[in-house]
Amino acid sequence: MIRLDPLTRRQFARFRGTKRGWYSALILMVLVASTAVTELLVNNRALVVNYQGEWHFPVYADFKPGTTFGLDYAYETNYRDLKAVLEQSGDGFVIMPPVPFSPFEINSYDGQFAPHPPNAAQQHYLGTDTAGRDVLARLAYGFRIAIWFSLVLLVATFVVGIAIGCAMGYYGGLSDLIGQRVIEVWSNVPMLYIIIIIASVITPDFWILMGLLFIFGWMGMTWYMRTATYREAARDYVLAAKSLGASDGRIVFRHILPNTLSLIVTFIPFAVTGGIGSLTSLDYLGYGLPPPTPSWGELLKQGTDNLDSAWIVTSVVSALVGLLVMVTFVGEAIRDAFDPKQHTTYQ
Amino acid sequence: MTGYFIRRLLLIIPTFLGITLMVFAITRFVPGGPIDRALAQAQAASESAEFQSSRPGDSTSILSESQLNQLREYYGFDKPLLESYVQWLGKVVQFDLGVSTRYAEPVWQTIADRLPVSLYYGFVTLVLTYMVCIPLGIWKGIKHAGTFDHLSSAVVFIGYAVPGYIVGIALLTAFASEIELFPLGGFASDDFDDFTLWEQVKDIVWHSVLPLISYMVGSFAVMTFMVKNSLMDNLAADYVRAAMARGRTFGGAVWHHALRNSLIPLATHFGNNIGIVLTGSFLIETIFNINGFGLLGYEAVVERDYPVVLGILVISSMLFLIGNILSDLCVALVDPRVRFQ
Repeated sequence: MIRLDPLTRRQFARFRGTKRGWYSALILMVLVASTAVTELLVNNRALVVNYQGEWHFPVYADFKPGTTFGLDYAYETNYRDLKAVLEQSGDGFVIMPPVPFSPFEINSYDGQFAPHPPNAAQQHYLGTDTAGRDVLARLAYGFRIAIWFSLVLLVATFVVGIAIGCAMGYYGGLSDLIGQRVIEVWSNVPMLYIIIIIASVITPDFWILMGLLFIFGWMGMTWYMRTATYREAARDYVLAAKSLGASDGRIVFRHILPNTLSLIVTFIPFAVTGGIGSLTSLDYLGYGLPPPTPSWGELLKQGTDNLDSAWIVTSVVSALVGLLVMVTFVGEAIRDAFDPKQHTTYQ
Repeated sequence: MTGYFIRRLLLIIPTFLGITLMVFAITRFVPGGPIDRALAQAQAASESAEFQSSRPGDSTSILSESQLNQLREYYGFDKPLLESYVQWLGKVVQFDLGVSTRYAEPVWQTIADRLPVSLYYGFVTLVLTYMVCIPLGIWKGIKHAGTFDHLSSAVVFIGYAVPGYIVGIALLTAFASEIELFPLGGFASDDFDDFTLWEQVKDIVWHSVLPLISYMVGSFAVMTFMVKNSLMDNLAADYVRAAMARGRTFGGAVWHHALRNSLIPLATHFGNNIGIVLTGSFLIETIFNINGFGLLGYEAVVERDYPVVLGILVISSMLFLIGNILSDLCVALVDPRVRFQ
């Protein structure tokens, strides 16, 4: 167990005191944890099949041809149909996930053209997109990609930003001066233009896109860390540590970094919303992850192109607004918790 | 302090060179530029010609080597990177941004065409943002931790969390598509020229309500909280306490003592307002079909109209760098305690 000092405990209590931030944090934690088992919640493969006394778990198994279950085709079993078949014959049963569709599956219904409106009987709770793919399934898998994209991006930019910023602030001098100019140039280069130019030449995948956003995204944190380190390095306790003979590494890691922790933590939620926002807008413009990757930006594009099928744009905008607002509430609560100022109020 | 600002002004030069050189180099090394475009056009033209005359043609050499060289010379691709960069820069310092490869008209002209729309949106957004944020921030500071403070914080934070173009999409869906209260986009109606002056004003306002909301929602949070927090800092300061102790009313203490000092932080961004035309986000412009500056830049990048891309870059980076210095100057002007060395 980590030993928490009283200050940290008080900050945590203050964080819990901000109700909307605390509940948002709980909901977000559940949502992020659920991405580990998205397959069990949203999938066109059955969770459990009992056929003639045999148990099958198709979600985490290989592809099973229809013949396995006594159907007359050798391509992958359609478990939704199998469920109906087994219910009639009484040979066993099928348990489907709550949303029985895959994000890539194109669903067609007789006499209707995609997009299909929401229909609880067909289990398309949020309808389908223009290609007939289930909107809820694409939202769920798109969320998994977007949230992990922004979390990995956050770790990468923070590690590099903190390292460079700390070095610049602590050593100062010429490296600081050159570093400042480099960052000034780098952060004024229009990132979006360059990503668009590059993305039109190569098709970016998850890691290339992350690399591009990382290359143009590490400066923000560097700038704040430089200022914070600069301020801390001038404090008496650093001088005291130095005169006791502490090495640079010890001073930075044991003394300065813990004292800038509040700054680092405060920026995490804003980096998360930034990452999700960048990925979504790039996908929206068509320079993000290649189709048919499920993505909120691509759904947003479909929604705005088909305002008549309002369920597409309503679903994705609500999901985006809900997610970003919750992350921002967490950020607000963290900032309040770390704010040492308790304001005087006059009555 | 004059020395400080002269040094800052001189530091613009290396930064500006760095930014433009980077983008210039990228436009050089990425395929799909004007030469490739001309080749593709020539190929398409010769293929249709081939089809008509049914003559076997050598598809690899659509343009002869000399024609290619002419093209390279025309676009300045015939020289090494640094040499052509210096040549380009030489023209820029004479205020010649070149000719748009897409519209075949001077870049200045292309930019000037978009200026009125962008200026209108930039200026109105700016004024409205100050008009809403300052009173709201003051009110929230005075009524700190009250019901109104909590509710307005939630609203302001929602606006901050959601990107402007998403707000635009939501507004468009609700108020232009479902309820047909506002138009679906554009800057003015088609028969705008036939309107009387009053109708024209009404038309523009009617068209700009939704885009303006989208532009503004994001900027409320930062400025409102800046005003609120600095007002609360000042209210807690000794000089306000002293004023209260001498028998000043609370309102008087706020109005005559705390407020003036708490508006100083606003000056830290004030200089960047010269970049007013650049506030346009091309995503919002795309959604509302507004032909502004942001959309021009985006289209130029997509169509590989490099003279326009570089021209916009020159203007935007210059305005940004000068705006930063102006902001510092504003801070020094309004706050006599600030001394830059």
